[in-house]
Amino acid sequence: MWIIYTLNGLYFAALLFLISLGLNIILGVMGILNLAHGSLYAIGAFIAAWIIIAIGAKIPPFFLYITLLSGFVLTGIVGLIMEKSLIRFMYKRTLEYQLLLTFGALMLLEDVIKMIWGGQAYYASAPFDLLGKADIFGHVYPTYFLFVMIIALIAGLLIWLFMSKTKLGIMLRAISLDREMATGIGLDINRLSTFAFVLGSALAGLAGALVVPTTPALLGFGHEPLILGFIVVVVGGLGSLKGALVGALLVGFTRSFGIAIFPEIELPLLFLIAGIILVVKPEGLFGR
Amino acid sequence: MTKEVSRRKFLKYMGATALTAGSLGTTSKVWGQAKPIPKDPIKIAAVSFLTGAAAAPFGIPGDNTYKMCADMINKEGGILGRKIDLQSKDEAGGVDAQVKLCRKLILEDKVDVVLGYISSASCLAVLPLSDELGGLIIAYDCGTHELMEGAKSPFDIPKFKLGFRSKAHLGIDNIALALYIKKYYPNIKKVAGINQDYAWGRDSWLIFETAMKKLMPQVQVVKTLWPPLGNTDFTAHISALMGSEPDIVHSSLWGGDAVTFSKQALGMGFFKKIRMAYSRGEPYPQEVGKDYPEGQIICCAGTHYFLHTPKDKTSADLQKTFVTEYHKRYGKYPSYPCYHAYQAIYAYKHAVEKASNAAGGGWPTIEAISKALTGLSFPTPSGILTIREDHNGYEDCLVGVSKLTPKYPFPILDKTEVFPAAQVNPPVGTKTVDWINSWK
Repeated sequence: MWIIYTLNGLYFAALLFLISLGLNIILGVMGILNLAHGSLYAIGAFIAAWIIIAIGAKIPPFFLYITLLSGFVLTGIVGLIMEKSLIRFMYKRTLEYQLLLTFGALMLLEDVIKMIWGGQAYYASAPFDLLGKADIFGHVYPTYFLFVMIIALIAGLLIWLFMSKTKLGIMLRAISLDREMATGIGLDINRLSTFAFVLGSALAGLAGALVVPTTPALLGFGHEPLILGFIVVVVGGLGSLKGALVGALLVGFTRSFGIAIFPEIELPLLFLIAGIILVVKPEGLFGR
Repeated sequence: MTKEVSRRKFLKYMGATALTAGSLGTTSKVWGQAKPIPKDPIKIAAVSFLTGAAAAPFGIPGDNTYKMCADMINKEGGILGRKIDLQSKDEAGGVDAQVKLCRKLILEDKVDVVLGYISSASCLAVLPLSDELGGLIIAYDCGTHELMEGAKSPFDIPKFKLGFRSKAHLGIDNIALALYIKKYYPNIKKVAGINQDYAWGRDSWLIFETAMKKLMPQVQVVKTLWPPLGNTDFTAHISALMGSEPDIVHSSLWGGDAVTFSKQALGMGFFKKIRMAYSRGEPYPQEVGKDYPEGQIICCAGTHYFLHTPKDKTSADLQKTFVTEYHKRYGKYPSYPCYHAYQAIYAYKHAVEKASNAAGGGWPTIEAISKALTGLSFPTPSGILTIREDHNGYEDCLVGVSKLTPKYPFPILDKTEVFPAAQVNPPVGTKTVDWINSWK
């Protein structure tokens, strides 16, 4: 069973990695602690579920998996609207204002979801069912979970390449390292911040879209991932890609092995780890 | 010519008149002074989750049933000639919001009765308002056994004068499951549990574990898992359960959690080795469809199953009409919350009619309706329902095993067994756990 526990840990870590990566980019580049990140994840889930239900049966299987990208694209657009209308005004404000505003946005988005999709659950399991099961050393494991891990890995690699090799990525890193200096050398902070927020939101949307074939989308969908996403950021460190990866793996494995070995304290254990890191290394394992 | 009345006859008439007056006096004392039947409609508030995780599996089917029953009652002339004005309300928003809503319904909107609540937390918070505000509240779907029970056995009944629950509590589901397992799977050695980490899950497991320890003391509990409500990833739980190799896993998972668990467990080959026993699994085969695994033990939270035929003919006829009408309206077969909603609205109807009859006509007082509800027995689509002196429903309980047939696009229940009410409900005034522990 140990191999399955490991795979479960990796699968959960893959989702958390995508969520916390978005959270980390927004926090690192813009200095915004986005409490509405969980709602963006939920929006990604609803959008993907909605599209899969509407056209899933009519399109070839390959395109079914392409529809999952709708969560990435459309949630990015929601992020763009959110940044232009709300977040933009918070850059120069203190953390308290940001927290209040993004918490308000969380409630608002929850109601927007309710207005658009109503209170019912959306079941869109076609991509999960279609991939069937894999045999892993005599254990049955859903192939879709392996697919999610691969997508998260690809997304992580692309973000790493983007951040380290492209001009845009380097500019974003420059802002996250020293905002004043970046402004001094003439970087367009506003446009770059918008881009960072859209990218972060889209990654949350992608995570939501990837998870929805395994569980129905319903109201309150983003609350738990938001909390765990924050634990990952606390553990891994702010603004660090490596931190998001290591943090997600740590949380994923603690959860998977915790539930198997000491189920009563699995969740407190996660918070205990986060607490210890906050005390011993407040900037996180790989934070600056 | 006038007819002469003899002294003997006169005394006889006088005696009869006195007796009648006396009995009328007693009646009006017990059943209250019924007022003339008002012309305006009866205001009934129906509170269910219309949004959120509990909406799709419980709230919306429950609310649909209230609407359907109100239409049916109105079509037949209403209750004592008064039509029902049904007001559907959302149970979402947490306990504080529900307390506020209930206060508004009783004090401002002056509804005649509040029928509602799916969450045990809502019921525990709202039912005390019945006596505080003098409004009639009938809980219709919430499960906690603590609602009508006192701190220790024996406890005083009723806990609330104007608060009722028109169904049995979660004790029947979990006791019936244990009895079923003992009968059909006597050779099992290990059980495990996966229940949500709040009152509902904890209470369900407590009753099941207590009953199993009494009925099958040789069976070992190998794992108890407590996923949070609204969990979206059960993979770790599924493999932890598989790793501990139980024969049967008890679960009170509901809604999206139950569906997610089934889907992911199916993908991980869970059902090849392990059998689930769901305390309220009845809605999910229909919800999941053909993929729902066969051979799973499913309890119906009573005898609330669309293919169940109650023993008494009136109930059996009601069941036929109910299932046909619900399917015609909503394109699905009624699930257990639908039966619970039927029980609540018809309990009110029968109680009003009983109280009015007893008072010699007119519209009964709220106290008289409460008195009529106590001990009320009436036919429902799932059989005769009795509301006991503790103001709690008293029901039989049906358990079966999922099986695919060519007739339905989802597994139906096979090897069904109905456990009589006396076998699964604790006696009045005794706590459920104490009662189970007293079994010989």
